[in-house]
Amino acid sequence: MALVFLRTTIIFFTLLLVMRLMGKSQIGEMQPFELVITLLIAELACIPMADSSVPLLYGIVSIVAIFILHQIVWLLDLWFKPMKTVVCGKPSLVITKEGIDSYQLRQNNLDVADLIESMRGAGYFNLDDVYYGLYEANGKFSALAKEQLTPTLPVLLVDSGKPDEKNARIAGLTVDKIKEFASEQGCKLKNVLVMTVDSNGRVYFQPKGKPYKILNMQVSGQW
Amino acid sequence: MVKSIIYTLVAIALCLGIFFGTQYYIDSQVGKFHSALETLYDKIEEKTATREDAYSVRELWADKKSKLHIFIPHNDISYVDYWLSEACALIYRDEFDLALGKIEVLLEITKNLPDSYSVKLENVF
Repeated sequence: MALVFLRTTIIFFTLLLVMRLMGKSQIGEMQPFELVITLLIAELACIPMADSSVPLLYGIVSIVAIFILHQIVWLLDLWFKPMKTVVCGKPSLVITKEGIDSYQLRQNNLDVADLIESMRGAGYFNLDDVYYGLYEANGKFSALAKEQLTPTLPVLLVDSGKPDEKNARIAGLTVDKIKEFASEQGCKLKNVLVMTVDSNGRVYFQPKGKPYKILNMQVSGQW
Repeated sequence: MVKSIIYTLVAIALCLGIFFGTQYYIDSQVGKFHSALETLYDKIEEKTATREDAYSVRELWADKKSKLHIFIPHNDISYVDYWLSEACALIYRDEFDLALGKIEVLLEITKNLPDSYSVKLENVF
């Protein structure tokens, strides 16, 4: 039985580590250790139930082990603050007044498209609709919105130096035109972190490692 | 919070009780069966083993296994059942040389059985 407990403990911490390493994209409104518990409990309860050759006591001991580990992690969270950061992670500020922080995105295994999707989920359709945007430790996106939101739906033209041909066609643009636009801003396409354009031709343009700019360009697509 | 700590400590105490209790129980029960097998082995070697000797070892195992089912996977118990049935069948037919080999396997299984549930590095991984 001690063996079952020990093995459950090892699996628990391995899963927790993997979840932490996977970043916030894999969590979604649960603390990493809560997700680990959810993943484990179902399996642990299921195996002794379905397989009659495994004593039921094995499942019970494993579940009690999970309960003990949950309580220990919870108590460590309360009593020893640095532990909370180690186990649950900390919020990541991915949008500042200067624009997107690509380093923070990479740290959480996210890209600009994921960020835009999270923003849309939170009700913000333009990258400059918020002063600050952050991913909480549980993977939820929170933002401090600007007083005035832009009521348009932009399309992503460049994501981390890579042009999106499909979106360019929607906007009635070509990759060459996007390259030309970037070079007008003194920047090569591969050095553009993000570029979006809405139906009014309003462009959100941010080179890598530099603040964003709001520019204008001619678009012919309808969306 | 105090309630949570108490629950946690109770759960830890319960688990520790189960760990030590189970290990002790498996050791003692399998140990007794192992001793019975050793006696049977000696009798087979001397060619004095009788149908009754084999039957009593079988009875002893039937009694032990009904409780061991709670603590160890049933497949491990099935192995002992299989080899014991074969050994007994050979003893009933006075085929002592062949029975000796079967009992040797059983002795090895029962010697290693408690070890395979103890906390050892090779068992953990």
